Amino acid sequence: MVIYREEYRLYNFGPHHPFSPVRLEMLTSLLQALGVWKAPLSPPEATREEVLTVHSERLVKRVEAASRGELFPDLEHYGLGTGDTPVFPGMDRAARILVGGTLEGARRILAGEKRVLQLGGGLHHAQYDRASGFCVYNDLSVAIRHLTGAGLRVAYLDMDVHHGDGVQWIHYEEGEVLTLSLHESGRYLFPGTGHVHEIGRGAGLGKKLNLPLEPFTEDESYLEVFEALVPWALQAFRPDVLVVQAGADAHFLDPLADLLLTTRAYERLFRLILEYAEAYAGGRVLFTLGGGYSLDGTVRVWALLYHIFHGLPLPERLPEGWLRAWEARLGKPLTPTLHDPEGAYPEIPRREEIAKRNRLTLERLTELLAPHLLH
Amino acid sequence: MLVKDVMKSPVLTVGPETTLEDAYRFLLEKGIRHLPVVEGERLVGIITDRDIRLATSHLNPQGPCPTCAPVAEVMTRGVVTAHPLDPVEEAARLMRERKIGCLPVLEDGRLVGIVTGIDLLDALLRLTGVTEPSGRLEVRLPDRPGELARLTGFLAGRGVNIHSLLSYPEEEEAVRAVVRVKTMETHLLAEALRREGFQVLWPPKKPW
Repeated sequence: MVIYREEYRLYNFGPHHPFSPVRLEMLTSLLQALGVWKAPLSPPEATREEVLTVHSERLVKRVEAASRGELFPDLEHYGLGTGDTPVFPGMDRAARILVGGTLEGARRILAGEKRVLQLGGGLHHAQYDRASGFCVYNDLSVAIRHLTGAGLRVAYLDMDVHHGDGVQWIHYEEGEVLTLSLHESGRYLFPGTGHVHEIGRGAGLGKKLNLPLEPFTEDESYLEVFEALVPWALQAFRPDVLVVQAGADAHFLDPLADLLLTTRAYERLFRLILEYAEAYAGGRVLFTLGGGYSLDGTVRVWALLYHIFHGLPLPERLPEGWLRAWEARLGKPLTPTLHDPEGAYPEIPRREEIAKRNRLTLERLTELLAPHLLH
Repeated sequence: MLVKDVMKSPVLTVGPETTLEDAYRFLLEKGIRHLPVVEGERLVGIITDRDIRLATSHLNPQGPCPTCAPVAEVMTRGVVTAHPLDPVEEAARLMRERKIGCLPVLEDGRLVGIVTGIDLLDALLRLTGVTEPSGRLEVRLPDRPGELARLTGFLAGRGVNIHSLLSYPEEEEAVRAVVRVKTMETHLLAEALRREGFQVLWPPKKPW
């Protein structure tokens, strides 16, 4: 089941902001041009009360006021009105619509649906008391809390290139939520957290996993650690459902970060996740989108996700008409195939060293977590 | 950042007549390593878990008896102290030079707090800004007046908030500035800085 509505595109920080609604417009028009688009389920927007299940009243009040053009003087303290997360008219409703989509996904899972693809959301940086990094409300956490409220154990897998800090902190002390984030090391990249030693607290101890990867990590190394870590953790945790933030910004074309995944890795990752869901989570999986700031790379990664999600054969070339129209609109050439061409970027001389360091990080993580997770 | 911003208070203390065994048990119970020794209001010494272990080690059979010897027999006198308004870097330098693990903090002769190496590590974390969601830029600046101002002015002009700014001298008349900025878009910032003629070391320029 696919969840989407046109109003997702109201979540718009302006024409020069990287978290652009053009991504969704481009994706849905590509899927239509490919003839695979089926009418999605249109979700209701989340209510204020639903948002308040994971956010503070203080934050919500400020977002609502900013939506009406009333600016609290302490907005910055709440991560609002910043370069990353500027305020705009109607932002409260726009953010609640995205939350509504992911929450509807959770409801559908509870109603017996196995696989849900929410074509939006994934706002994993938003924290209890603070908007952050393009994220106003945390749709993932609202959905996760809805699922745990119904008695389910939830494994959250974050593929975004940035650490899933908001989701991690919101559920940091919860034993029924496993969070697992693979991301570029926070030594340089926003938000700076996501160290191996952030492993949860109280009942959540040992249920929060972070695998920070070296800048310039490529397909092979990423897949190696992913395939070692994810099934291991899922098997130990035995979730009832898998929630996946499928950010596409670990792609090599992404302008904000430094991992070097190609569409080949993404294809493999999406297939693996569906396999893992079958093997360890009763087949139940809820995907959301997330970061992804190269239009060219992001749209192809998510088109891949859509095809694999539905078990469709992968097209090789993208439709000519669609390419011409978007190249004209964006004023630059686009990759004409669904997959990246071979040798799309120059060889990385430190490849071996990078793979070795990632292996070492994985070792440290599993050593640290094993006593908590395996019992 | 001042000593009063990082020190722990109130301070756990013992009297000079406490036995070594009781003092050691107290340290273990509280999970601490340093105990200022006070007589009334007056700081008269300091004793650490290490002092007690060394004094009572079986390698030191002539040493004091743990159950009857008082703290006063083993404690260090003439304690090196700090003032709440000392800058943290001064406290750090003092501890480094004297090779000691803590500084009791005195105000008007009264013990008001204690700073340990761990508190200084916390201070370092805060100074580097890693406790806030942020990205990191490293820029090499010529070592001359106005360069840092040019950098921060540029960031201000782009509406980017700076969480922390560290700079340290490098060889060849250059200064390395490490800036934690509240933005996801460090790459775009780096590109813009390069266009302005800044030498940005991180994030790197991508060749594709």
